[in-house]
Amino acid sequence: MFIDRLIWADPRRRARKLLQFAEVEAQGARDLFRAAEIADDPQLRRRLFAHARDEVRHAELFQARGLALRRTIADPGPDRALGDGLLPGERGFDRLVVEQERMTGLLAFIHLSERAASRAFAAYGAVLDHDPETQAVIGKIARDEEGHMRYSRAELSRLAPGHAPRALWAARLRRFWRAYLRLALILADMISKIILTLLYFLLLAPFAWVAKRAARQEAPGWCAATRPRDKGGGQY
Amino acid sequence: MKILGISAFYHDAAAALLVDGLPVAAAQEERLSRCKNDPAFPLQAAEWCLDHAGLDPEQLDAVIFYERPALRFDRVLMTLLRAFPHSWRIFPKAMKNMVGEKLWVRGIISAQLGIPTRRVHFTDHHISHAATAFLTAPTEKAAILTADGVGEWATLTVGHGSKRAGGPAEINLLREVRFPHSLGLFYSAFTAWLGFPVNEGEYKVMGLAAYGTPRFADEVRRILQRTPDGAFALDLDYFDYHRTVDSAYSRRFVGLFGPPRDRFEPIDLGTAQGRHYADVAASAQAVLEDVMVDIAASLRKETGLVDLCLGGGVALNGVANARILREAGFERLFVPSAPGDAGCALGAALWADRILFNQPHRDCPDHPFWGPAVEPDDLARLAAEDGLPFERADEAELIDEVADAIGRGAIVGWMEGAAEFGPRALGHRSILADPGDAAMRDRINRDIKFRESFRPFAPVVPAEHAATYFDLSSGGARLGRFMSGVFPVRPEWRNSLSAVTHVDGTARVQILEAELAPRLHALLGAYGRRRGIPVLLNTSFNLAGDPIVTSAAEGYSTFRRAGIDLLVADDVVVHRDRVGHQQAVEAIA
Repeated sequence: MFIDRLIWADPRRRARKLLQFAEVEAQGARDLFRAAEIADDPQLRRRLFAHARDEVRHAELFQARGLALRRTIADPGPDRALGDGLLPGERGFDRLVVEQERMTGLLAFIHLSERAASRAFAAYGAVLDHDPETQAVIGKIARDEEGHMRYSRAELSRLAPGHAPRALWAARLRRFWRAYLRLALILADMISKIILTLLYFLLLAPFAWVAKRAARQEAPGWCAATRPRDKGGGQY
Repeated sequence: MKILGISAFYHDAAAALLVDGLPVAAAQEERLSRCKNDPAFPLQAAEWCLDHAGLDPEQLDAVIFYERPALRFDRVLMTLLRAFPHSWRIFPKAMKNMVGEKLWVRGIISAQLGIPTRRVHFTDHHISHAATAFLTAPTEKAAILTADGVGEWATLTVGHGSKRAGGPAEINLLREVRFPHSLGLFYSAFTAWLGFPVNEGEYKVMGLAAYGTPRFADEVRRILQRTPDGAFALDLDYFDYHRTVDSAYSRRFVGLFGPPRDRFEPIDLGTAQGRHYADVAASAQAVLEDVMVDIAASLRKETGLVDLCLGGGVALNGVANARILREAGFERLFVPSAPGDAGCALGAALWADRILFNQPHRDCPDHPFWGPAVEPDDLARLAAEDGLPFERADEAELIDEVADAIGRGAIVGWMEGAAEFGPRALGHRSILADPGDAAMRDRINRDIKFRESFRPFAPVVPAEHAATYFDLSSGGARLGRFMSGVFPVRPEWRNSLSAVTHVDGTARVQILEAELAPRLHALLGAYGRRRGIPVLLNTSFNLAGDPIVTSAAEGYSTFRRAGIDLLVADDVVVHRDRVGHQQAVEAIA
């Protein structure tokens, strides 16, 4: 609650968050339209389609509110700032590759994502008393997410009777695994950045001097076309 | 020989398959992965190409990658060293990018396709562009000009090529301009400054330029200077792409042209600020054209050849292409349907066949339809399942029905046969509409394409009527074949073609010969008989942010999402339901 309040207190960050949500929802809509395109079951296809349209609408709502808020700020600052990463519940379908999913797995994944989003939005709504317009947008979308939770659970039970709990657990584990991978990647990225930056300053200076010297001798304009060193299909 | 060409890892990955010297399939990865400008290894595209030809990967004689990764690495590393110590922030990212994946293309291709590494070959990025432009063009001898952002080191090359059916083919690139001096990156810097996404928003800059006057041309010439030998050089103090990750232009650039546009705010051409953006776009466009025309004119004099093959992403600039045709002295200008990096998959395969493996040249079919075919049965099934009215019609009935519908103001999603290879919808995955009503342009921009109001739509016209409506320079019909040139609409027709006439009185027209797309040609004829003008508005069949549709299901999905009235896939026609049936079937539980 304290963190939510901190994040949503600053109007710049609030505007950025809303615009970020708009992008997540728009991407979620694309994923759902794609899921609808490959769904064999007509009823499921229609529901995925309707869900996707909701996501499009949500993207528009977030965008409109984010822009309105942004226009009230004299200096909205950069598009992204430190600490703007998406939190659990805000990730939508998180780079879902729809074609690689089985439909039950996909529905379980949708259900859990919507549930996480619904909880996150409910929490944000609770700390937005000072901004009733944003609160109204988030509240409306949170209610839609509850509807999406219900339909995805119902479809899961219809299409995989008796297997829904197992599919949900499998989806939970996958979400956990993804979260772990995401964390691992962030750590790996940080470590590699530190090592490579150290290498840059410790090792590259003499080579840089040579490279700059060579560059000074190059006149701009035409050069003879490069000839492949191996006269054929090599990498150099 | 069976050769698979691949382009990947930067933007718009693609695969193309050549069997016995002729293309049999080519597809951009985005059309299958449904991720716009997908740069990932084009596994789906490669698999589709192989499936289409009934081949297994082990039956391939060679796979060729469209550029040389080690040379690209050389350029990246050298650029970082030259920018030391200002490149410290970009260095970790660039190294992870290159050493983490892009340097190991041979292994990636081998592992992904399950073929031995000795069958994997490479060629130069600009040779691939040159091969795409020249080896697919119906000419035996031509000058060649390629220009893009950057390949390995080259950013622009000039040369010439010769070939004859059954004989050898040759491509000689004579000279090149090297990174960091790049017309593509110059234009991209303006694209970024104008708040559009780089590698995608360049069309928007071109569209916006028509609203402005080039009053900043002198300032632009200060940053894009001509060299005494006839080439050009960028004043790198105005750019940052060679030393930072997140910006293409520098503070000095901002000092010269003012603060960049806020990407969240629309361009209002009624305001001074909006006109300023348009004027800067017009200035960048004018200077780019001047340089391209000048280089092309020199090449014409040097080679004495009358045909020019143009490749690389800069060849997508239809306004510049038309000026080259008009002013550089060439009789014909050939721009392939996919002059950008995606087309390099095909060019690399053709180069490997003709030049690396010395196979005799065979003339390529002169069409862009190398992608997956639409399945009308799928569309009929989807419409039936959703209770939407649909019918199967014979060709004459269908064409009459569609022409009537467009005449009544309907917007039609038109899918036919194999999908186009390249960024243009050339009549197999198109949205068609009445070209005469300016309100139609606004409706399509607002309800279907969801895009900026200043962006124009293109017309399609039968070749035999093109000169009636458009002021084509000599050779213009060829340039218009793949919608690669922008030409004036004749003044007396501008009112009647207001939905496809840009603010400066021009249009990026597709000039359609009957054999290229016979059904669309017949539709144009039928429409012309009803309305007096055999011209239709033709825009790509997709929504903003989506790739052009490929399958019937994707066309159907787009039809349902947007305000399209009629959907056609070969002989199946689906009608938008009249009274809210759609809302009923889509109602969520």
